[in-house]
Amino acid sequence: MSENVLKIENLTMQFGGVVAVNDLSMEINKGEIVALIGPNGAGKTTAFNCVTAVYEPTNGQILFNGKPIAQNHPNGKMKKLYAGSDPEKYAGKVLRHTPDQITKLGIARTFQNIRLFGGMTVFENVLTAMHLRRTSNVFTATLRLNAKEEKKMREEALRLLQVVGLDDLCDETATSLPYGKQRLLEIARALATNPTLLLLDEPAAGMNPQETDELSVFIRRIKEQFDLTIFIIEHHMNLVMEISDRIYVIDFGKMIASGTPAEIQNNPAVIAAYLGGDEE
Amino acid sequence: MKKQAMLGKKKLDAGMVITGLIILAVYAAVFILEQIMPSTSMLFTVLKKGATYALVAVSMNLLNGFTGIFSLGQAGFMLIGAYTFAIFTIPMESRAAVYQYYNGGILGFSLPVIPALILAGLAAAFFAFLIGLPVLRLKSDYLAIATLGFAEIMRAIFQWDKLGPLTNGSNMLHTFPNFNSFNIKNAAGETTVYLSTLIPFLIAGVCIALIVLLINSSYGRALRAIKDDEIAAEAMGVNLFHHKQLSFCISSFFAGIGGAMLAMYACTVQAKSFTTAMTYEILLIVVIGGIGSISGSCISSFLFVACSEWWLRFLDEKQVIGTFEVPLLRNGFRLVVFSIIIMIVVLFFRQGIMGTKELPDLFRRRPKTASQEAIK
Repeated sequence: MSENVLKIENLTMQFGGVVAVNDLSMEINKGEIVALIGPNGAGKTTAFNCVTAVYEPTNGQILFNGKPIAQNHPNGKMKKLYAGSDPEKYAGKVLRHTPDQITKLGIARTFQNIRLFGGMTVFENVLTAMHLRRTSNVFTATLRLNAKEEKKMREEALRLLQVVGLDDLCDETATSLPYGKQRLLEIARALATNPTLLLLDEPAAGMNPQETDELSVFIRRIKEQFDLTIFIIEHHMNLVMEISDRIYVIDFGKMIASGTPAEIQNNPAVIAAYLGGDEE
Repeated sequence: MKKQAMLGKKKLDAGMVITGLIILAVYAAVFILEQIMPSTSMLFTVLKKGATYALVAVSMNLLNGFTGIFSLGQAGFMLIGAYTFAIFTIPMESRAAVYQYYNGGILGFSLPVIPALILAGLAAAFFAFLIGLPVLRLKSDYLAIATLGFAEIMRAIFQWDKLGPLTNGSNMLHTFPNFNSFNIKNAAGETTVYLSTLIPFLIAGVCIALIVLLINSSYGRALRAIKDDEIAAEAMGVNLFHHKQLSFCISSFFAGIGGAMLAMYACTVQAKSFTTAMTYEILLIVVIGGIGSISGSCISSFLFVACSEWWLRFLDEKQVIGTFEVPLLRNGFRLVVFSIIIMIVVLFFRQGIMGTKELPDLFRRRPKTASQEAIK
């Protein structure tokens, strides 16, 4: 059990009448690279947003390292639309975090549509993500009594930028970087929060085949180097098949398949979902 | 060398040195001018008010320019600061005269200037904390309206008759220390060293320096992150509400001190002078100086005060060049011209005087971009 870094149980997310994620259950073990794939609008990013507490799930439970980080049972008007499999399971339990608390617990993420701090330099972007590990308060920080910590943060940020190969571009404005490098910077920034679980939301979007190949090597490398567990959403099948240990496929919010890359490639339901064939 | 600078072993670069020298020169010039020029000169009025407005503008810039919170409550916090300062510094012997309708008021002691200044800031920050609890959950325009409403409510509450023993109702507070009390006098009562302009410069300078230090600290980066992208900031572990509240309180703290300085400048305090128009004046200074630039706010506050109080005065009077009487010039025309200038600035210099640059950036050679380096 404690092997599970992330465990999602019966996760349902409804927006009014739209069921974006429907009764999704999955597990991610320590040291794995797990991919979540599915056609556009299948609810992949919504699942991510539930894990990072951007959304409060309508139903279900999410456990991180065995501890619940989100728990909800539907009530009020949502109850009518309730789509969970076991209505009594989390009855009355509500647990919610804010995204910054989730990050503090050790889950870091990147965004599908890059969300860098545009007004800041590359270096400052990474440095900002270290703010949450501070021990200083606003007075000591203003009066520079935390110089030692600040220096450590700066060294660490520079080291991370070296890891992703952006240390030459420290003083550039973040948004002036080319697209691929912005993606790398987002990963560096996520790493700066010192995570144990890294969520990557379409890291290869907009990259050319060569960049995508480099990215898969890079993801493996940071996984080893930072002892990470990686949960990835991606559309580039080459990348997904190459790096993932296991794959979950969802369509219209419902899980339709899970397994190793080889199993997924030959799964008729997956092929149907992607190519629009007849569903059994 | 580049990496050393980033690791915090900051070497003083040319830009910082030149800026430091300029600031020193300004302070020296203020001190010297004050000794040699008649103290009634309009210049000193402008400098005193300019320094006060610079502090308030910078405090507003901390919110609007660095945290991305569009607040319009600045006049309210200045009012709290001004009143707190005045209430606590009116000398005991004058209280009976000031609070003539309220039996000398309820306060049985008075404080020296510096503690009263800090108290003024703390009072404003305390109110900001309370107001921030509900208001900071709102977004952009709604937050602006809520804070604007707060400032108006403050203005009404401080004029409330029931609070008279403390605030003197709608009557003005006066005879508390003002900038002229800092002048050093000899035994005969003649002023030997004039400090009445240097002191506001020093107070504002210290406060602005603190704000600059804050902005360049880890907390400042978190605030700028919130401004750039709230969702990303939160995902990177920045607690949105906590940091917004922090920024709001700190901004109000310095607005409170600014209010106290305005009280010292005007020698009287009356709630009805802290109008919404005052907030807009400060907002204008921030916009003209450049949202997100501390030095821009400072420069534009002096320009703004000089234009509105001094340089455009001639437009209010009849001017005769030779035998030609310039048309249109009459009382109030100054404000028309002033408004037109502001419209031109806003239309054509949308970034303001400084944009998001700071003074040291102007003296730095622009860092070579990566592409240029790659070519070499």
